Amino acid sequence: MIAQIATALIFLVSLWLIFSEKLNRTIAGLCGAVLMVGLGKLLHFYDETQAVAAVDFNTLGLLSGMMILVALLEPTGFFQFLAVWAGRFSRGRPVRLLILLGTVTTIVSMFLDNVTTVVLIAPVTILICEILGVNPMPYLMAEALLSDTGGVSTLVGDPPNVLIASAAGFSFNDFLTHALPIVIVAWLSALWLLRFLFRRELAVRPPNADVVLKLNPRESLDDPKTARRVLIVLGGTILLFFLEEPLDLSPALVALGAAAVGLVWVRPNINDVLRRIEWSVLVFFAALFVMVGGLEASGVLGGLVTLLEKLYAIPPMLFGLVLLWFSAGLSAFVDNVPITIALIPVLQGLESHGVNVQPLWWALAFGAGFGGNGTIIGSTANIVVASISERTRTPITSKLWNKRGLPVMLVTCTVASVLYLLLYPLFTR
Amino acid sequence: MEIRDCMKRKVISIPATATVRQAAALIVEHRIGLLPVVDKQGKLGGVIRLGDLLALELPDFFNLLPDLDFVHDFGAVETARPSPEELDRPVTTLMQPVTFVEESCGLLRAYALMEKHNLYDLPVVSDADALVGIASRVDIAAAILSDWITATPSKI
Repeated sequence: MIAQIATALIFLVSLWLIFSEKLNRTIAGLCGAVLMVGLGKLLHFYDETQAVAAVDFNTLGLLSGMMILVALLEPTGFFQFLAVWAGRFSRGRPVRLLILLGTVTTIVSMFLDNVTTVVLIAPVTILICEILGVNPMPYLMAEALLSDTGGVSTLVGDPPNVLIASAAGFSFNDFLTHALPIVIVAWLSALWLLRFLFRRELAVRPPNADVVLKLNPRESLDDPKTARRVLIVLGGTILLFFLEEPLDLSPALVALGAAAVGLVWVRPNINDVLRRIEWSVLVFFAALFVMVGGLEASGVLGGLVTLLEKLYAIPPMLFGLVLLWFSAGLSAFVDNVPITIALIPVLQGLESHGVNVQPLWWALAFGAGFGGNGTIIGSTANIVVASISERTRTPITSKLWNKRGLPVMLVTCTVASVLYLLLYPLFTR
Repeated sequence: MEIRDCMKRKVISIPATATVRQAAALIVEHRIGLLPVVDKQGKLGGVIRLGDLLALELPDFFNLLPDLDFVHDFGAVETARPSPEELDRPVTTLMQPVTFVEESCGLLRAYALMEKHNLYDLPVVSDADALVGIASRVDIAAAILSDWITATPSKI
């Protein structure tokens, strides 16, 4: 009993430190993980071997492999190239520019880290808007909101999806058949809503629209040779993700294999590449895994599952819906990664009690993914866009996000809920 | 040789109570790149660089993008001007901390400081911290080079 109370306390205090931003999330996670193992050894319920076994290396491998590919692609100027191309192709028409920039950011972030995508596309967006003489705010917000929404559609698009796929055994194709159709509808609704919410800003026709035609996308591509090579490797990676099941490959192996091939082909300065990897994210994930492993070993999660089982007397469809909105509501205010990592063992526990948790995994994916749109701190892409805009004359404020971003979250979650109910049989298998 | 031997003694400066617009007008009138800001006692408080004023008009993307070679036309940015509020605010809001030397400073030290801090003009102060002169990179370099010519006679 002492072990259960103490582990729950360590976990809750760590989460509180992370969510209140009193301590950097990686530092808080690491401290929590070390305390958990220390306590486990003292009370004989958890040790180093169990802690290492609790770390999901499939998730870490997939994330680090994809991070290496992004690190190779980032310095080539490919992201800028896409944004400049979108600007040119829009011919300076506001609605067209919004759709093109939103689409480009979404498609790229379906396969690559959306924070990097937004970080590199946002400055070019500001450039295009400034030379056109229009306010960049709608375009920047649309990029963050649409890429977050689009990221839910693939296994690699969003960190919670990577976690869910690994825990539930979902393949890349499972996401294409289960999540993608819903995301397409939600994404289109979000785009329609953004067009409506920003109707006033988008109605201003820039007098010198032709200026974007003088932008030269090719000149913004610093290293076309490397970009081509990394894109070929990336194409092969996506192809192998499709064939993951027949070839019996894990996504981590595919991603790390692609990273290895990319590194051999490009032969960059390895220190530069490794410096671009987001180690803090990887350490944070590992620390959370170790903490949740401790909760499991001490029996806290088992107790929670028994508690939840009683709740499961309510119809499973409704349970899924509650989970969707519950995780969405939390994700709007706090990081969706710890929420997902904490809920995974609970769902696994329910499964071991004979409950069909397949629909719940999808509810969690939609909730954790779309929920992040709600506030300026809901997702890393939102935070990044806001901090870039703070360096401009038209900063995006939290109040503004509540007015324009929160409706997007509510609409995408509602669309997901309706389709979830309509297509419920699809999610049960 | 010391910096007092090559500095300009007639320094164009601006009082701390002036506005950004007045600073711009002085720079235009005298075609200078650095404007020292002085208090009522003539003490040096900071400087306004040409770049600090132009930063008011430079677009936001200038600081966000590493490379601008692909932008062949600045479009609306080219005709954008700072707002009246920006021009009427006190010059002290744009003022930068100043690197300065005393009158007795050696020329090579003065030049090395300018290189390290990427400066083009170096204000000179008296023992009582009053601004007494200003030397440009060219003033200092020319003084050093002239010494080469007189002190090291040619062997050919």
